[in-house]
Amino acid sequence: MSKMRSSKFAAWAAAGSIALLAGCNHAVDVNSPQVRGIGYVHLDDVVKVHPLYPQLSQIDSTVAAIDLQSLGPAVPQTGQQISQETSQLNVELKAAQDRTNRILAQKQLEYQQREQAAIAAAIAASGESGGGSAASAMQSVSAQQAQTVSAQANGDFATYQQSVIAQNNAALKAISKALFDRANARYAQKLNQLNQSESQLALELSTADASQRLSIRTKLSNLAMDDATRKSYKDQLATLNRRESDAVAAARNRDQAELATFQTQLRVQTQNEVNAQAAKINSQTQAKIALRHSTVSSQVTSALRGLGPAPSGGGYSASTKAKIAQLDKQFKSEFQADAQKSIAEYQQTKSDLDQRFAQLHGIDSAATGSAAKQLAKLQAQRQQLYGQIVAQIQREANTIAAQRGLKVVFVNVVVAVGGVDLTPEVEKDVESLHE
Amino acid sequence: MMTITHKYLFIAILALGAFVAAPMALAADLTDIGYIDQAAVGNLPDFQRANAQLGQYKSGLDRQFAARMKSAHSQADQQRVISEFQGKLADRQRAVLGPLLARAQTAIASVSSSKNLSVIVDKRIVIFGGQNITKDVTDLLQSPGAIVPPVSTPAPSEVGYVDQTQIDQLPKLKAASDAFATFVNDQRTAAQQKMAKAKNDAERSQILKDYQTARDAKQKSDVQPLVDEMHNAMADIAKKKNLILVIDRGDLIYGGTDITTDVQNALK
Repeated sequence: MSKMRSSKFAAWAAAGSIALLAGCNHAVDVNSPQVRGIGYVHLDDVVKVHPLYPQLSQIDSTVAAIDLQSLGPAVPQTGQQISQETSQLNVELKAAQDRTNRILAQKQLEYQQREQAAIAAAIAASGESGGGSAASAMQSVSAQQAQTVSAQANGDFATYQQSVIAQNNAALKAISKALFDRANARYAQKLNQLNQSESQLALELSTADASQRLSIRTKLSNLAMDDATRKSYKDQLATLNRRESDAVAAARNRDQAELATFQTQLRVQTQNEVNAQAAKINSQTQAKIALRHSTVSSQVTSALRGLGPAPSGGGYSASTKAKIAQLDKQFKSEFQADAQKSIAEYQQTKSDLDQRFAQLHGIDSAATGSAAKQLAKLQAQRQQLYGQIVAQIQREANTIAAQRGLKVVFVNVVVAVGGVDLTPEVEKDVESLHE
Repeated sequence: MMTITHKYLFIAILALGAFVAAPMALAADLTDIGYIDQAAVGNLPDFQRANAQLGQYKSGLDRQFAARMKSAHSQADQQRVISEFQGKLADRQRAVLGPLLARAQTAIASVSSSKNLSVIVDKRIVIFGGQNITKDVTDLLQSPGAIVPPVSTPAPSEVGYVDQTQIDQLPKLKAASDAFATFVNDQRTAAQQKMAKAKNDAERSQILKDYQTARDAKQKSDVQPLVDEMHNAMADIAKKKNLILVIDRGDLIYGGTDITTDVQNALK
């Protein structure tokens, strides 16, 4: 009887071990010409089933979003660079102003001379001597011209004032948006970091309990077990699960509290920064308006002084007076049209420079600069997380490869026509880390 | 005399023993596939010095480049300046790193030959087994005097490789790749414009999602069929040449079976 039992046991053992061998080798001869001891794993596929993949995917999405939001890649990062570029822009602006003033002064002189020559020629052609020479015909600035100059200057000043105030408001809005965007990004980053630590904790707990869990499950899979023992194992499993979920829940609660505090701090800090920037911008705007007011006043005075004398026409016939007046009007209007071109060119240059100033100090640099830093941080975080995931996959793959008797296992193959694809097995092992 | 019971038991023990011992023995078997940690070679003093020298040269070149780009107003001028400076850097790289890389290549060939390896790949693509020849190569590289190149070429390998950059230049693949790049660029610009106007995170998230969906759909419809065709061609050639698998040229260091031309011909 006992002999029979022994032989039965031996037969089961032999059959079992053969089945075990067949099962583990998956009916593939690793030394066959189609395999030659080579295995491979599609790493990307396994990464996608890893418990930490959602974190990796979240980082990728954040990186993609920041990448889309940052429009200018080559924005200076340091205060020194910003300062250098600001100085350069100031030099360019000053050069443009000087150049325009020089051109205008030259043109003014040129038109005055041409007008004088034309009037002198007209008087000579009329054969009239008039009340004096052609030069003396140009006497004083007419009250009407003076009024026009002043009105034009006042109009320009009002336009400038409005545009500066509009710029002020736009800059305030932009900076406020940039600062709040930065705060939101920091909040998102913190949230991401805490989520990651929660997942990490869950994974660590699960890994730490894996052998115990596996042991209980193996025992539970035994059909010949009384109800009380089965219940006891089930309770143990439930306790294990509860302990893990309690620990994760406790961490989550702590993180929520930390997040709430962080959000409040961020809000206060950002509002203070917005207020400080607003005060700075308002003060700069006031200074700009005051400076322009003073410049305009001195320019008007200078223009009134510099305006060419209008022809008085004293002592000439009506037709000569009309001719002189017509010439005066013609040259002044030609000068204005010509000067307008130079002014338009200057305005264009200034507008370009203003835009560069705004980019340097405003939203673009703030947002992109902070985006670049955030990107670098996220990429480092991604690299670390990816490394962690790959290391774990590698450990699982090593175990399987050793069990299967492979000589070498590759990842990232382009095409495989032979060898053993370990991907499904590694996926299964990595997925089991969830449980 | 062994009883039937004992015989069964003996077979069982043998089988179990084989189960436990066989993988260990097989895993210990040497393979003709080697790998090398390129970072370790890059960290050798000679390479570090060369890289520092190149870095210094590049800093100076960057300053000159920035100055020249300021005065290059047209796109053609800028392109000319870019090409000129890229050429200068490449020339210096060849001059400084060329002899070191040639010596490293000889060292790798020599170690491979002495260990009867048919292929050497980058460490990054081997996660188990293979022969690590990093130390042998770095030791040989640091030894004084010239390195003697092996007399024989590596044995035919069951590992094939393709130069993907060459295959990508085939007209139909290049056309598809360029069209896809243009599409992605247009989508990206449009998405960036929308992002700038987005009022909240939900809108931004939707814009990103739409952009990714459009890009992925285009990739699936226009690029993936060509990638599949390419992989099928590679698989057919690999089978004919009795290869086990095919890796990218970028991951290969030495040896291997080049199937690039066959794949190019098959795809024409």
